Order: sequence, then structure tokens, then C-alpha cells
Amino acid sequence: MAISNTLNRTRSVGSRKSFDRGFQIICLLVASLAIVILVMLVTAILFKGGGWLSWGFLVNSHRENLPEQSGVGQAIIGSLVVCLICGLAAMPIGIATAVFLEEYQPLSRLGRLLHGFIQLNVSNLAGVPSIVYGILGVTAFVYMFGWFGQIQANKPPPVEMGASYFYQTKTLGKKWVQFPASDRTKQVFVIESSLSAFNESGQPIELNVIDRSATAPTEPELRDRTVYAGATASILATKRPWYFHLPFSKSVLSAGLTLALVILPIVIIAAQEAIRAVPSSLREAAYGLGANKWQVVSTTVLPSALPGIMTGAILAMSRAIGEAAPLLAVMGGVISTTNSLGNLMDKSPVLPVTIYRWAQDENPAFENLAAAAIIVLLVFLLLMNSIAILVRNRAERKYA
Amino acid sequence: MHETVVQRPARRSSTSFTTGDFVSDSEMVLSSNPAVRRPQEFKAARPGRPNPSELPVAISIADFNAYYGDFQALHQINIRIPQNHVTAFIGPSGCGKSTLLRWINRMNDIIPTAQSSGSIRLGETEVLSKSTDVVGLRRHIGIVFQKPNPFPKSIYDNVAFGPRLHFKASSSQLDQLVEWSLRKAALWDEVKDRLHKSALGLSGGQQQRLCIARAIAVGPKILLMDEPCSALDPASTARVEDLIFELSEQYSIVIVTHNMQQASRCSDSTVFFYEGRVVEHGPTIQVFTRPTHKQTEDYVTGKFG
Repeated sequence: MAISNTLNRTRSVGSRKSFDRGFQIICLLVASLAIVILVMLVTAILFKGGGWLSWGFLVNSHRENLPEQSGVGQAIIGSLVVCLICGLAAMPIGIATAVFLEEYQPLSRLGRLLHGFIQLNVSNLAGVPSIVYGILGVTAFVYMFGWFGQIQANKPPPVEMGASYFYQTKTLGKKWVQFPASDRTKQVFVIESSLSAFNESGQPIELNVIDRSATAPTEPELRDRTVYAGATASILATKRPWYFHLPFSKSVLSAGLTLALVILPIVIIAAQEAIRAVPSSLREAAYGLGANKWQVVSTTVLPSALPGIMTGAILAMSRAIGEAAPLLAVMGGVISTTNSLGNLMDKSPVLPVTIYRWAQDENPAFENLAAAAIIVLLVFLLLMNSIAILVRNRAERKYA
Repeated sequence: MHETVVQRPARRSSTSFTTGDFVSDSEMVLSSNPAVRRPQEFKAARPGRPNPSELPVAISIADFNAYYGDFQALHQINIRIPQNHVTAFIGPSGCGKSTLLRWINRMNDIIPTAQSSGSIRLGETEVLSKSTDVVGLRRHIGIVFQKPNPFPKSIYDNVAFGPRLHFKASSSQLDQLVEWSLRKAALWDEVKDRLHKSALGLSGGQQQRLCIARAIAVGPKILLMDEPCSALDPASTARVEDLIFELSEQYSIVIVTHNMQQASRCSDSTVFFYEGRVVEHGPTIQVFTRPTHKQTEDYVTGKFG
């Protein structure tokens, strides 16, 4: 009898239905909260920064206290260069690591241990905060653990290539002449005897040195190439686009490599997943035809996995382009440079750091500029994500 | 040998196959009781087929044991596979027939836990020896898998894949080789106008014949086929079986199959495996009609498996 009593005491259908409905509404509200916040964020940014967007904003660089003439020109170039370096460094290393982890599973006990250890570290590294990578970047790339000595002010870096040093001095005719520097570490050269040099138009000339007590020549041609003995020439370096030195110091190269460290675990994991998704029947087919491991990987696995790898890499790079913390650590809060980016050893402002600097500028107008820069950054992110989706869709069509 | 092909019944002609023909074919093969089977269904019974014991040996397997970790998949296998002859491996799932097939060209090297002992000899070469060049070995022993697995490349590139790995061929030599292989696999006429289209656009049966063309393009002497028709429809199956029969003039073929009718239709010899051991090995007609073991009889008549 007891059981039938229990079975007869049914709950009211109405209350169960209304509870179900209530729960549905709560879920909807919670879900919309995220959307509301996003919409508010984007509206606020558009409202604040939209009016400041102009062609001039996109090409100018930062001008102190002149918000109307400031822009993100240098920052856009800086961000793109840093992102490119980051991608070029992270992709080969990431893909190679993923190929090792997925395709070259070692048989020996020690090898398996190493393999597992690397896999564990890759998974753990993905969760490390980016500022930590920033500090690593400072040690590993900016100072290179001090292996090559330190870069000091007014001294050329210990190891460099792609730079030529000249001494420059002014003649009696108020013309600049240059001659190659024999010792790049000496800042000032004292001219004692005549030597061969180049004039302002690059013509070779013989530098005429006269004694301080002698009378200066009068004909202009001679005056233009005459200096008093004991005149000083100061050092000047011309740097080729491939200019390069060790340690990398605070430069876009250091910044790009540091960001490569930040995204490396993401690229590895994405590449591993793409490689795992290649059907093993394709591998077997290639092995069965007598391909060795490298041929299987290069002709079969990588071509099939490449779209997935590219998608992952582009998404990782879109994370890199928005990173501010490691760049602040590695390059400092650069907001503008006098010369445009000429080589990888230059510093450059980048979008996130520019936003950070503008947002805390004393001039409140720069806050609006920060909002405008955020819009530019968001457009870049959207573009990169769209490219990633495009790559994936094209690949799906190709292999469907 | 050649006369054998001519003497084949009309329904076996690979060029004039129709579904209508197949119906009668399937009705015949569905009667799985060997007592009902007419002798001419077996190729081995047809005049002109050589006696397996007179043929030279292609592969000899002696005292072969295979393991996956602690599990012993094969026990003391001793088989001689004759040249230019179709040998079928039959048996219920998990009996080790695919394992043995995959050991013959060392495909099991990819599986870390797979171990073996004993000997598999290909002529003078010991297949299992560590010093054996696996790449060269697989050139001589081609393999075709259960599911058609063409590369996501063009038909041409699929067939040219192996030759590009092994030979320094000019593009015209490669063209010839691709055509030769596709003709051998009875696929040339169907694909000659779309050689550079994706191989994934082919039907399942065509894909499997492409895989056979791909395997013979590197010039193997032996073809291993791991249930080559199990993923195909009956019409495609019949075409692949025809092909196996034709290829046996030039290649030694080992075919693993779950399909008893298939074994009876296209093999000369049959090896019956049960629980990792060879129970019976003999001419197909004998294994199917006068098996010496009770287990074999039960299996080929469909009582278990």
C-alpha cells in the first residue's frame, strides 16, 4: 500500500512547467549579460573614439600635447612588424615540435620520458601569464644572459653587422666631409694629417690639413676641403636594413621573439590537433608505398594538416597583436620614435602600448585617441580572425 | 596461364559487367554450403591453373609468432606462399590473419607494442631482420588496405606518389608509368580524361582500384590485400575481384578476407586461421569442399565466425 501511496502523490504539472520556464529565463538573462557588456564596451569606444578616426590618424605618429596631430601610423607598422617576426619565429618551431610530439613517438624508455616531459611542459606553458614571458624575453633576448657583454650608451654593441661607421667634420667652407672610421669604439677623432674623405655629394676628396697658425686659404674649392690640424670629427653610423647586433637590446626583434614565446604553446597545441586529425589511413598508405618517416610527414601529413595549422597560427597571432605586457617589459613604453623603423634593431611603438600610454596621458583628449586606437586594433583582430575562418573553409572545400 | 583468363565465364568480364549479371552471381555465391557448390566456381579447379606445390615459393613463413605487448596474436605459423598465385587468409575476427599480412611488409613497425619472432623470408631476404631496408622491402611488397585511402591529391599524383619516392623518372617516363599502372588496375578508361582531378571525386570502387594502381606503380612482386572489398558495394567488389584474378598472372597475391565467397571466387589457395593458429592450408577447392578439420568446415559453412 505504501508504494501506491507514493506513486499517487504526483507533483503538480503546472509548478514543474513554471520552474522549467523560470530556469530557461535565468539562463537567457545570464547569457545576455555577456552580450550587453560587449555591446556597451563597443558603443562606448565607438562613441569616444569614432570621431577621431581619420586618414591623418592612421598615418601620423604621436605628438606630445597635440592630440589633433597625433596618430597610430608608427604603431600600426610596429605592430605588424612585431607580429610578422612573431609568426615567422613561432610557426616553424611550433610545427616542428608538433611533428615531433605526434609523429616521432620514441620507443626507448628515456625517449618516452622526454616525450612526455615536453608534452607536459607545452600544456603547462599555455597557461603562463604573458608578463612572465616578458621577463624571460628581457633576459633571453634583450640582454642575452650577458653572453655578449652589455650595450652601453655611446658605445657600439659588442657584436654587430650591417653598419658602417664614419667620422664627420665641418671644413673651413662650412661643408660636411666624412671619412671611414678605423675604430668604431672611438667617439671622437682628432685630425692631425691629411687623409682621403668624401664631400657632401659623395665625391672623393683629399682632406687638406693646415696648421692653426697658418692663414686660411681663400679659394672656395680649397676652403671646402680644408680643416685646421687638431679639428675633431665625431662618429656617425649608417645602418643597412639588415643591420643586426648581439645582444638584441630593446628592439622589435626582441619584442617579436618574446611574443613568439607567448604564442608558441598555442601554435604547438593547434598544430598537434591538426596533425592528429589527419586520418591514419593516409599515413599507412604512404608507409605502404615505401615512404620513410620524413617523406610521410612532408608529403602526406603536413599538406593535409596545413590548413588547420594555419588557422591555429593566425588565431595565435591575433592574440599576440593585442599583447601589451610583454612588450612593455621588452621594449619599454615607446610611444614615438624620431626615425621610422629602419631595421630590426630599432624600437617602435606598437598599438597596445600606444593605447596604454594614451589612456594615462595627462591631456584628457588622448583618452579619446586611445579609444580610436582600440577601434584600429579591433579591426586588425577581426581581419585576422576572418582570414583564419577563410583558410579553414577553403581547406574544408578542398578535402571534402 | 593466359588461356585461363579466356576460359573465364562471361560474367567475369570486367568490361561488360552489369548489375543484372551480378544478381545471378550473388544467388550462386549465397548458397554457402560447399556441398551445393559446383566445382567450376573455383578457379583452382579450372583447367590450366597450376598446382601450388609445383610453383616456386614467393614468401616462406617459418615458426612465426607475433605479439601485441603481452598478448600473443599468432602461434608458430608455417606457410609457404607460392609465386603468381592468389592465397587467401580466412578466419573469424581477431584470428591474426591481418596481423600476419601486416608483418609480411613490416607495416607493424608503426605499432610500438608489436613484437615478433621466427622468420619470414622473401627469396634470400629475411624480412624481420633489423638490418632489412624497410623502404626497399615495401617497394617489393605492395599493400592495399581495407578502406580505399587515396591521398587528397589528383589521380595522377596518387599513382605517381610511389614512383616519385623511389625512382628518378623524367616526366614522360612518369606519364607512361602512371598510364601503365592505371591500365593494369583496369581504371585507365574511366579516369584518362580527368587525371588531374582530385582522387576523392572517384567512387569507392574506383578509389580502391586506384589504390591498387598506386601499389603496383612501384613495381612490386607481391601484393598484400587487407580485406580490399569490405568497404565496397557488390558491383565494385566484383570488379576488384576480377582485377585480383588478372593480376595474379604477374604478382603473388595474398588476400585477407572475411567473405568466404570471395575467397572461394578469387583464390587458388586458402589458409584458415583460428585463434592465432593455422588450422588448415590447401587448395581453395579442397578447403571449401573437403576440409580436413571440423573447425574449418564449421567456418566455411557459416556455422560460426
